[in-house]
Amino acid sequence: MTYFLQQMLNGISWGSILAMLGAGYTMTFGIIGLVNFAHGEVFMAGAFAAYFALYAAGLPFGVAVVIGILGAVVVGLFVERIAFKPVRGSGMITLFITSFAASIGLRTLFVMLFTDKAKPFVLPDFLDGAYILGDLWVFKRTIAIVVVLVVVGGLLMYLVKKTKTGIAMRAMSYDMQTAQSMGMNTEKIIILTFMIASALAGVAAIMWGVSYGRIRSSMGMMPVVDAFIASVIGGVGNVFGAIVGGLILGIGETLFVAYLPPELIGLRTLFVWIVLFIILIIKPSGLFRANIK
Amino acid sequence: MRLKEGLTPVTRYVIGIGLLVLLLFALDRFLPGFWLTLFLLFGINTILAVSLNITNGWANLFSIGHGGIMLAGGYAAALFTLPVFFKADIVGLHLPGWILNVQIPFLPALIIGGVIGSVVGIVLALPALRLRGLYFILVTLGFNLIMVTIAENLRNYTNGAMGLRQFPLYTNVWWVWGIAFLLIYIAWMLKKSFIGRAMIALGRDQELAEHMGINLMRYKIYAFGLSTFFTAIGGILWVHLILNLFPNAFGLTLVFHVVVMIVIGGMGSISGAVIGSAIVTSFTLVLAPVEEGFRLFGLQVPRMMGLTTLLFAAMLIVILILKPQGLMGEGEFSLQGLRRKLSRSKPAS
Repeated sequence: MTYFLQQMLNGISWGSILAMLGAGYTMTFGIIGLVNFAHGEVFMAGAFAAYFALYAAGLPFGVAVVIGILGAVVVGLFVERIAFKPVRGSGMITLFITSFAASIGLRTLFVMLFTDKAKPFVLPDFLDGAYILGDLWVFKRTIAIVVVLVVVGGLLMYLVKKTKTGIAMRAMSYDMQTAQSMGMNTEKIIILTFMIASALAGVAAIMWGVSYGRIRSSMGMMPVVDAFIASVIGGVGNVFGAIVGGLILGIGETLFVAYLPPELIGLRTLFVWIVLFIILIIKPSGLFRANIK
Repeated sequence: MRLKEGLTPVTRYVIGIGLLVLLLFALDRFLPGFWLTLFLLFGINTILAVSLNITNGWANLFSIGHGGIMLAGGYAAALFTLPVFFKADIVGLHLPGWILNVQIPFLPALIIGGVIGSVVGIVLALPALRLRGLYFILVTLGFNLIMVTIAENLRNYTNGAMGLRQFPLYTNVWWVWGIAFLLIYIAWMLKKSFIGRAMIALGRDQELAEHMGINLMRYKIYAFGLSTFFTAIGGILWVHLILNLFPNAFGLTLVFHVVVMIVIGGMGSISGAVIGSAIVTSFTLVLAPVEEGFRLFGLQVPRMMGLTTLLFAAMLIVILILKPQGLMGEGEFSLQGLRRKLSRSKPAS
C-alpha cells in the first residue's frame, strides 16, 4: 500500500507536468487548429533559460523561474512568427509539416550547441527535503508542483471562462471568420494565446527541472507527444479536460511502470498509446466536451 | 525525333531498358567506392520517397510511421540473411531453430521483408484509416515510436538497442536501381490507371470520391499496402548497405528526411520525389565533411553533428512558405512539356 501511494505521488508530479504542457497544447490546437509540434522544444528552451540563469548568471531561484518562463515565451513567439504565421490558413498538413520541421530543427540546434548530455538542475533549499508520514515520503517539491498546478490551472480556467479575452478565444475557436467580422482583433488574440501556451510550457519546464533534477536537449521529445494525447483525451480545446487528461496519463503511466516486471521497463511509452487507442475507439471526442466545432 | 516516332512501342521499351542497363553497368564498373555508395543511397532514397509519396502525396494519408515499417521489414529480412554462425554467437539472441539455422539469399529475404512490412502496414492502417487528418498523423507517429520501443525491448529477436551487425553485403546497383525503376514504372502506370486516380481522387475530396462510387477503405488499403511494401524493401536494402541495424536508426529523423524529399519535389509527383531524393542525398554528401568539422582560413570549425537536419528543417519551412507546391507541383516531368516550356520561354522573333 505504501508502495502504491508512493508511486501515486510520483505519478502526480509527472502528471502535473503533462497537464501544464497539455493545457498549452489544447489552447493553440483549439484556437487555430494547429498541433504545435514544436511545443516540446519551447518547453526545453524554457528549461535551458532557467538553467543558464541559475548557473551561468548565478541568479536566485525566483528570478530564474521568471527568466525560464520568459525564455519559453520568446522561443514560442519566434516559432509562431517563423513557422506558423506565414503558412496560416494553408491547410492542416502544411501547418503540421512546418511545426514538425521547427521541432526537429530546434532540437537539433540545441543538441549541436549544448550536446545531449544531462545537465544538473539543483533544487533550491526551500524545496529540498521531505515530510515523512509513516513509511510514506512526501517530497516538498511534489507539494510545490501540485500547488503550482492548482494555482496556474485555476487562473487559466478563470481566464478562458470569465474574462473578455477568454471569451474572444473561445469565439475564435468556434468560427474564426465570424469572430473577425464581429470586430475582434484575431491577430492579437492569436499572439496572446501563443504567449500563454508558451508560458505554460515554461512553467512545465521548471516543474520538470525541480522534479527530476536534470535537463537535456532532447527532453521535449517524449512529453510533447504525451501532452498532445492528454489534450486529445480531455477533449480538444478544453483546458480543464487537458489538465485532467495529463494527470490521468501521468499517474497511469507511473503506476503501469511501477507494476511492470523490471525487464519490460522500456515499454513505458506504450501506455499512453494504449490509452489513446482506447479513447479513440470508445469516445473519439475525448472525455470532456471539446471546445471546438 | 522522326526516327523515334517511326519505332514501335515495344522497340522503344527495349532500347530504353537496354540503355539503362548499359548506364547502370558502366556506373557499377567505373564509379569509385564512395560515389557508388552515394549512388546507392540515392536509389534507396528514391524508393523511400516514391513509395511514401503514394500515401502522403496521392491518397493524402499523411503518414510519418513509415520508419516503423522499415524497421519491421528490415528486422524480418535481417534475421534470415544473417550468417548462421553470427546468429548463434550473440548471447542475447534466442531465436527459434527454424530461423536460427537458415541463411537465405537476398531475393526471398526481400520478398519476406516486403510482405511483412506490408502486413504490418495494413494492420496499422485498419484502425488508423478510420481517423482523419491530425489524428491519423498522430497514430502513425505513435506507431513509429511503438515499433522502436518494441524492437528495443524484444531482445530475444532483435538484440535490443545494441542492434545487429555483420550482414552480408547484398545491396548493389542492380538490386537498388532495378527495384527503384520497377517502383517508378509501377507508380507511373498507376497514376494513369483507375486505381491510381481513385487514390488521388480520395486524397482530394473524400466525400466526393465516395459519391463517385470509389470504395474508400479498399483504395486506402491498396495505397497503404503498396507504399509499405516498397518502403520495407527500401529499409532492407538500406540495412544491407550500411551493414548495421539498430532500432533508433528508424526514428523520426529518418522519416523527416523522407518527408523533406517529397515536399521539395512536390507532394503527389513521382518525378518530384526522385528530384527531391537527389537533392537531399547530395545535400547529405556536401554537408558530411562540414559536420565533421574542418579548418577554414586557419580557424578550426568545430564538429556540428546534425547540421544537415537543421538545414533541412529551415529549407522545409522556407519552401512551404514560398513555394508550397514544391518543384514539380503534382505534375510529372515529360519531354513534350519541357519542349513546350522551352519554346514558350524563347523570345518572340
